[in-house]
Amino acid sequence: MNNDNEHKEGQEKISKEKSLNTSINYRQVFDDISSKYTSRRRITNKVVSIVAIVFVIGAIIPLGSILLEVIKNGIAVISIQFLTQPPGSIGSGSGGIGPAIQGTLITVGLASLIGAPIGILSGIYLSEYAPAGSAKGGRERAISFFANTIRLFNDVLTGLPSIVIGIVGYVTIVLAINSFSVWAGAFALSIIMIPIISRVTEETLKLVPNSLREAGYSLGISKSKITLFIVLKNAKDGVLTGVILAISRIAGETAPLIMTILGTSLFFTSLTGPVDALPLRIWRLASQPYESAHAFGWGAALVLILMILILSASLRIIARGRGIKVRTETI
Amino acid sequence: MSKIVMNSVVIVVMTSLLLTGVVTMSMSQRSFAQLLPKQMQTPGQSNINGAGATFPFPLIDTWRVEYQKVKPYVNINYQSIGSGGGVKQFTAKTVDFGASDAPLSAAERAKATGAVHIPETIGSVVAAYNIPGIPDKGLKLTGPILADIFAGKIKKWNDPRIQSLNPDKKLPAADIVTVHRSDGSGTTFVWTSYLSNASPQWNQTIGASKSVQWPSGVGAPGNEGVANAIKGSPNTIGYIELNYALQTKTPYAFIQNKAGKFIEPTLESVKQAAADVSAKGLPKGDASWQKVTLLNDKGSGAYPIASFSYLLLPKDLGKSPNMNEAKAKALVDFISWAITDGQKFASKLGYVPLPDPVVKLDQDTIKSLTFNGKPI
Repeated sequence: MNNDNEHKEGQEKISKEKSLNTSINYRQVFDDISSKYTSRRRITNKVVSIVAIVFVIGAIIPLGSILLEVIKNGIAVISIQFLTQPPGSIGSGSGGIGPAIQGTLITVGLASLIGAPIGILSGIYLSEYAPAGSAKGGRERAISFFANTIRLFNDVLTGLPSIVIGIVGYVTIVLAINSFSVWAGAFALSIIMIPIISRVTEETLKLVPNSLREAGYSLGISKSKITLFIVLKNAKDGVLTGVILAISRIAGETAPLIMTILGTSLFFTSLTGPVDALPLRIWRLASQPYESAHAFGWGAALVLILMILILSASLRIIARGRGIKVRTETI
Repeated sequence: MSKIVMNSVVIVVMTSLLLTGVVTMSMSQRSFAQLLPKQMQTPGQSNINGAGATFPFPLIDTWRVEYQKVKPYVNINYQSIGSGGGVKQFTAKTVDFGASDAPLSAAERAKATGAVHIPETIGSVVAAYNIPGIPDKGLKLTGPILADIFAGKIKKWNDPRIQSLNPDKKLPAADIVTVHRSDGSGTTFVWTSYLSNASPQWNQTIGASKSVQWPSGVGAPGNEGVANAIKGSPNTIGYIELNYALQTKTPYAFIQNKAGKFIEPTLESVKQAAADVSAKGLPKGDASWQKVTLLNDKGSGAYPIASFSYLLLPKDLGKSPNMNEAKAKALVDFISWAITDGQKFASKLGYVPLPDPVVKLDQDTIKSLTFNGKPI
């Protein structure tokens, strides 16, 4: 640890000296250039900076205004009753969105249980067991071809409209068991999750320095152990980000749920029955002609945003807490 | 050997790692379950799922809440996905009952064998508009004019044919934008049936169906979608159920009836349209209802565009994959309640309570329902 620090400090010193030298050189060059050019460069620099800042603000404005609008319109209806009760008759303004909150948690939870392991395992396979690039041998070539095909289909799957995935869920599960069901919804959502998680996992694992793997091999550790305890451990944050990204994405999906879970005004009864979900409820409420339904829709939107926010924040905190613990143990 | 063990350990450990991500959710689920009302815990309860027409949705949704007070252990779930979707899901047996404003066609009856129609309410379709400068209801229109507007033949609001009917109103020289349903819709069926009656040319070229080839205009999903589209853009006209026009405070036209009078769609005028319904010779519940119509009643005060809305049930409830005897009993009880006691909620929402002969007919139909051959 100490050695490391000293080494770093030394390197920093060297690089500082280097940059000092170069900056002096540049200053001399600048002095040589006529003041006209210098001022022109300065102006260009200022203008481009300002343009960049304007665009950054422009990118933030929609996000900020959406959040503000949702909070402004949604905060009024939020209450314990709104969060826990089933909806009252349409237009009455009574009841709440309890079934939708519960349904989202169940459907997204089940989808994650299906999608996350498959996504992560396929990401590990693509990164660790079937590296890209041209291989000479027959078997390796076949593996490489297989992996590239998977990557291609993963990308295609990412771009597939989610309503199409919903129809797949309808045809394969709803029609098969003759009921709109949580299973069908979770199945459709997990198909959306898998390519996202797989891609992110693969890219993150590739970022783990090869020297770490080699260090493991040199100690005679088996590949599976290296993958699990060295590579995956180092890439944990990235993998988790992928999972959170995928969960946030599916938690807001409406299209695949229309054809699979139908929606209901009742609380969860069984995995083979219809269930409600927040995005679906927001969509249905927004299309009602009643003011009270619109107010409920805004409230539901706020709840959905908060839920995703809390979920990703808490997952990150859990991950960070564990990461620190692991490091102290190893030292 | 150790490799295999390790590999399986890898899988197990990783899955459990992922599980922790979901733990937060399942925890909140568990605490949720404790918060829940008795709904979830009491055994012997029945959950009945239905889907279909948007036209009677406000009424059926009120029934859902009110019936819970009558029988707390029966939970009704009705989702308004449109009559087209209702018939489709009913045929695919993914729901316990369907709802449609259009009776099943011969082709649909062939696919959904043993389906019965139970008219559960009567409503009306109005021509709602958004014309700048005319904020009030009461633009006078006739069937042939409406047919020409929706066929794209009358293009401007100040067309002489419209203006001459409304000498007291100053119509703008703007283009008419028609709004129609984009989904399969019973309301569309009622509307196009009316236009087909009013205009032979419409009948030949476009006809009456749950979804037709519209020559012009924009589409919107659901009664609520059309209502919002009309409200949101000027110079539009579209057709929606009366209740949706009242809720969105969209003005609607007074339409000329068979007696030649311009009639405002109200509870009273729609009731009159259904007054002599028993004289129309209604078929039995399990027969074809395709010919049944409440359009163009000859009563002098009758609004010309009224319609039944139907609940669809299989004649033998045992044929439904998600049915058991207790649930079938609960479903039948609910519908018996809806067509009798439930009718008292109709007027407040702008629907006409069923006339007595129709209630009698419905009760006969319900009596004829069976569960695996046994009467319920």
